[in-house]
Amino acid sequence: MSKWRNSFVFAFGLAVALLLGWVVFPRVLYSQKHQPLDFLHKTHAEKSGVADCAECHTIREDGTFAGLPAVEKCAGCHSERVGESKAEAILVDSYIKPGHDTPWLAYARQPANVWFSHAIHVKRANLSCTECHSTYGESDRVRVYEVNRISGYSRDIWGHSMSRLRRAPHEGMKMSDCEECHKQRNVEVGCLGCHQ
Amino acid sequence: MWKSVAWDAINEGKAMKVTRRDLLVWGAGAAAGLLATPVPWKVLDDVSIWSQNWPWIPQPTRGPVEVKQSFCTLCPKACGLRVRMANGWAVGVAGSSTHPISRGALCPLAFAAHQLNWHPQRLRNVRHGSSLSTWAEAQSAFAKASKEGPVVVIDGYSGRAASSVLETFAGKQGGSYRVVATPELRAFTPYEQWTGIPAASLGYDFENARTIVSFGAPLLDGWGTPGRLTRLWAESGAGLSDPQLRLIQIDSSLSRTAARAWQWIEIREGSESALASGLAGALLEQNLVPAHSPVPSMTLAESSAQAGLSVERIRELARLVVAKTPALVVARDDDPAIAALNVLLGSLGNRGGIVPHSEGVKPYVAAESAIGNARAVLIDASVPWEFVPQVEAEIFRFAAWDGGATKADWLLPAPGFLEDLTDLPTAPGCSAQTYGVAPALVKATIEVQSAAQFLCSLDASLPTTAKIIDSRCEDLFRRREGNLYGQQIAAIDKVSSVQSFKEQLWKGAVWAGEASLSKAFACHLKEWPAQTRPVSAETWATQWKPVVMPPLASKLYQESGLREPPRRNA
Repeated sequence: MSKWRNSFVFAFGLAVALLLGWVVFPRVLYSQKHQPLDFLHKTHAEKSGVADCAECHTIREDGTFAGLPAVEKCAGCHSERVGESKAEAILVDSYIKPGHDTPWLAYARQPANVWFSHAIHVKRANLSCTECHSTYGESDRVRVYEVNRISGYSRDIWGHSMSRLRRAPHEGMKMSDCEECHKQRNVEVGCLGCHQ
Repeated sequence: MWKSVAWDAINEGKAMKVTRRDLLVWGAGAAAGLLATPVPWKVLDDVSIWSQNWPWIPQPTRGPVEVKQSFCTLCPKACGLRVRMANGWAVGVAGSSTHPISRGALCPLAFAAHQLNWHPQRLRNVRHGSSLSTWAEAQSAFAKASKEGPVVVIDGYSGRAASSVLETFAGKQGGSYRVVATPELRAFTPYEQWTGIPAASLGYDFENARTIVSFGAPLLDGWGTPGRLTRLWAESGAGLSDPQLRLIQIDSSLSRTAARAWQWIEIREGSESALASGLAGALLEQNLVPAHSPVPSMTLAESSAQAGLSVERIRELARLVVAKTPALVVARDDDPAIAALNVLLGSLGNRGGIVPHSEGVKPYVAAESAIGNARAVLIDASVPWEFVPQVEAEIFRFAAWDGGATKADWLLPAPGFLEDLTDLPTAPGCSAQTYGVAPALVKATIEVQSAAQFLCSLDASLPTTAKIIDSRCEDLFRRREGNLYGQQIAAIDKVSSVQSFKEQLWKGAVWAGEASLSKAFACHLKEWPAQTRPVSAETWATQWKPVVMPPLASKLYQESGLREPPRRNA
């Protein structure tokens, strides 16, 4: 009977660890933050006719990526409130009128030791934005920003799946993801290509 | 079955307490389970990232990104740079393809040079002996020493405007100005002795040579201006069985240059001088050079025995050297026997040989020669750390980085990479005169002074570096010769004014004159130079000792994060 008892106790310990590791740990590891206001990509695409990501997320003439648009860009349409929503009020009153940039939380910001050129990937390799950023540009809600409590990075860098198995092609922005994509496309880049 | 086992165990548990064994088994199960979860791997990954973001690790502030042209000031090769600046910080360095000599190539140290200013070994305080001191105390001590006796000023990068300040001070004070020359510059010393033309005004016309014979000089491995010879070799010789340019490497080991050269001649260690004598003998014996040349005292058989090559092999090498002319011999150091081969081959002052590129350059006095009774020695930051003056005097040493134990009474923090205005005269070995200006692109985060600034603060009558650079720019403009290599190549005739010329130089353009190929100079050796000491098999790496390089040569910024930070509501 002791043998069965030992097996049961071992299995119980195993189950507790698996439960903690797969269910509790991800919830504890990431804290959630909210964007300063609700931004709807879909509404902007439909109502404003903004069809191309590059209209707001521009690549400058010198090839550098401007990232998130400056508040002046938003002010082009939202210099005054164009709706009654709470987000509209926050945008106009807190950021556009005082001239402050909206402190967006960037989901895909890379670590500081990585040099990544959007210009090379978009213009030379002809990658579409969705290959890395999924169809977020068509979303009708703003995602919660999950930040890793230890590293301080966005969850999008690791990807939503904790095991990193059976991920969607756009999920995850770790170095291994870059390497995998380059391998698939037979594009060789040495260490100094990204860590210059 | 599991259900009945569990039930039994529970029933048993009613009668039995949880034992120590149970806890251990449970712990083993939990440990096994934990390994099957992402916890250990994810925590390891996150902790490694966390350790890269400790608050004391410098991070550049976000701001506008711009690319500025400049020059590497770490050594006298003066390679062209493109410096990525973010909010006034240098955050990346790349080679400048518009530079006519370096042509976009850089050495590994230059690629990470923007990080050197943050190196843990950066000298941040004035030190007197083993204690901290101040600039005022250092100035007072130096002023006192220079009143009490002669001061020797030692420079590692001669020809700069700052060098002129150092030399003027030494002259005014009755002291002397010495130079620690690079191996490339030292290799011209024999020609200076034979012709009177200063070593610093001579260069190699590799571009027009058809055969280059290197006696141990690592031509394709960091010798001279990185990029000049490697690109030339890639364009006209590498991998071809009968290339337009032949590179023969004479080396005692299969060095990187030997491995990539057209031919590698393996000789015994330290027998370069003997082989040079043997080669001269073979050239004369086979009437491959004019007969009036001096004959080496060493016989072919003696040379053969020392070098470990057969007599016939040396004869064959002699024929090979003159098979495709112009032929040029390059020495690793100042061995006169090797230099004399160029005299024998008629390579001095001729196309594809050794050519003068500048006039008005003064011969230098080597710092290694006897110093005499000096009261103090002032060492510029450009002098390699390993150099120690053999003199009993108070030593004032400027340095940007602390290289460890050294014989210096005063250690004075000097400007780091691109923290100081400097000009860049012709690099050693170049066949054409060049001139560039590297302004202070980066603001020093600590209180630093260059040796020239230090001397100017003591003696107000000394010209400042900026004034000398201005005057040099004006002189160059007045000559109306050469081209200006900036974003475009423009003949100096096309530059409208001296002001415009200066502006372009300050923005990173480089002026380059034409190689003086028509200025042949006489050099007649009366006798073959005596054999020098055997050269030890020092590698290039042991001869060239740069400052310590930070382990992580990576950029400290992110491209999309370099906008102005969001302004918070007050």
